[in-house]
Amino acid sequence: MNQPPLVKINRVGKRFGSGPLVLDGVELAVQRGEFVSFIGPSGCGKSTLLRLIAGLTEASSGELVIDGMTPENARELMFFVFQDANLLPWRRVADNVELPLLLRGDPTVRRQERVAHMLEVVGLAAAAQRFPWQLSGGMRMRVSIARALSVAPQILLLDEPFGALDEMTRDKLNEDLLAIRARDPFTGFFVTHSVTEAVYLSTRIVVLSANPGRIAQVIEVPFAYPRPAELRETPEFLQLLAKTSRALRAVRNN
Amino acid sequence: MKARLLSWIQPAVTGIGLIALWYLIKKISGVPSFILPSPDEVLRAAWDERSVLISAVMLTSRGAVLGFLAAVGVGFFLAMALGFSPRIKASFYPYILVLQMMPVTILAPVFVLWLGQGLPSIVAITFMIGFFPVVANTTMGFVSVDRNLQELFLMCKATRGQEVRYLRIPGAMPYFLTGMKIAGTLAPIGAIVGDFLAGSAQGGQGGIGYMTIAYFSQLKTPALFATGLTACLLGFVFVGGVNWLHWRLLHQWHDSMVKKE
Ligand SMILES: Nc1ncnc2c1ncn2[C@@H]1O[C@H](COP(=O)(O)OP(=O)(O)OP(=O)(O)O)[C@@H](O)[C@H]1O
Ligand SMILES: [Mg+2]
Repeated sequence: MNQPPLVKINRVGKRFGSGPLVLDGVELAVQRGEFVSFIGPSGCGKSTLLRLIAGLTEASSGELVIDGMTPENARELMFFVFQDANLLPWRRVADNVELPLLLRGDPTVRRQERVAHMLEVVGLAAAAQRFPWQLSGGMRMRVSIARALSVAPQILLLDEPFGALDEMTRDKLNEDLLAIRARDPFTGFFVTHSVTEAVYLSTRIVVLSANPGRIAQVIEVPFAYPRPAELRETPEFLQLLAKTSRALRAVRNN
Repeated sequence: MKARLLSWIQPAVTGIGLIALWYLIKKISGVPSFILPSPDEVLRAAWDERSVLISAVMLTSRGAVLGFLAAVGVGFFLAMALGFSPRIKASFYPYILVLQMMPVTILAPVFVLWLGQGLPSIVAITFMIGFFPVVANTTMGFVSVDRNLQELFLMCKATRGQEVRYLRIPGAMPYFLTGMKIAGTLAPIGAIVGDFLAGSAQGGQGGIGYMTIAYFSQLKTPALFATGLTACLLGFVFVGGVNWLHWRLLHQWHDSMVKKE
């Protein structure tokens, strides 16, 4: 328990140029193996926070420490799943999944094995030779997740990955994501607008308030993994769901 | 099937109508053949002059192909340099525009002075006409990379070279091919104009532009028309080739090509 946190966010503030303060005094320590969801009103800085962790944008004040490094230097440990699947339209599914391995300089045989494995994991082995335009939105997201996990990152950052999908597909992908995580553990940071999703996936839910974005409340999710799909129907789950919704409503009304 | 047949029949009907109109105008006006030859006279002239026209087309094709390749090759790498840094673009783009604004009719004599009459000058003129569309389009492609994809490459710690190879070049392909299509349409015209302005009848044989002058000065009007017909054919072959390449490279993934149902 006394391990140093994998990700430490120290009183981080962020403003773009001379614009208003987007994030203010964000303080969070995340242990290896946690799954943290960020939830809050639109425009409160959830994506910005994720991008700060990824080192895609710089903090205006405070600092982020990831495994003892700056975010930029820690990129090797991380991967980002973007809101739209963000696939290269000219590469087939397998070639998209292969890309990070290719850029990293893995040898061909290892790449092929890894790609085959990842496509198996996300259930897209049959679609390996298709182009992104030939896939449904849910399939595209699976490819994006397979691509992110192909390099076995220690930290996975997901920005509303399932936001554009219908509820049924989303539930299924949530279950799949947990199954994948059980096999290839990673520390997760997850932005979402869906309270159910947040409670089902996370170890902790961070509720942000807007203008400027501040941490309003942190909700612990006590359920042990593996979490069966039916967990979502238990009274304990529904109770926590209600609690999170209330917290969200509270920040919205401020 | 019916729609396909119709798509053939419609232009055929128009064509027959136009030829009929041509005959009609000639009949009514009664102008002599050296002013307006009839379609059959044009075809006969094409047949009679076939050996001259074929070697003229071959000669002009050579200029067109070489000029086109130079335009596409130089254009691509120039665009890559311009797309590489905004500073390079700001420094050089205005001068590329200046070159583009320079009329060929003025450039042609300069090329003849430098390179002499004949193929090198024709290639240079074709190049001058074709390279700007390639540069302009491809540069656009190189600078308009998807920001999210760029961040993906950043997350992958991709080197600059990897980014160019796996992101910028494939991303710029549709733009490059559009530029190439325009260059392909212009190349035969460029080569003919080049031949017209800077051609030489090597061994008594000229290209299409040169033959135009020759037939005109001899008032061989049907042969002049036949030369025009030949030029059209060359243009179609060229555009067909470039379109095929365009299709070949993009049909599997690009929005402009994939069949959505
Ligand atoms: N690159 C940028 N330049 C200027 N302002 C920005 C930039 N990115 C984000 N912002 C501003 O920062 C604020 C937070 O944006 P952010 O995208 O982090 O919100 P969000 O919580 O992810 O919202 P949503 O739930 O709608 O995705 C917004 O007011 C936005 O306008
Ligand atoms: Mg966002």
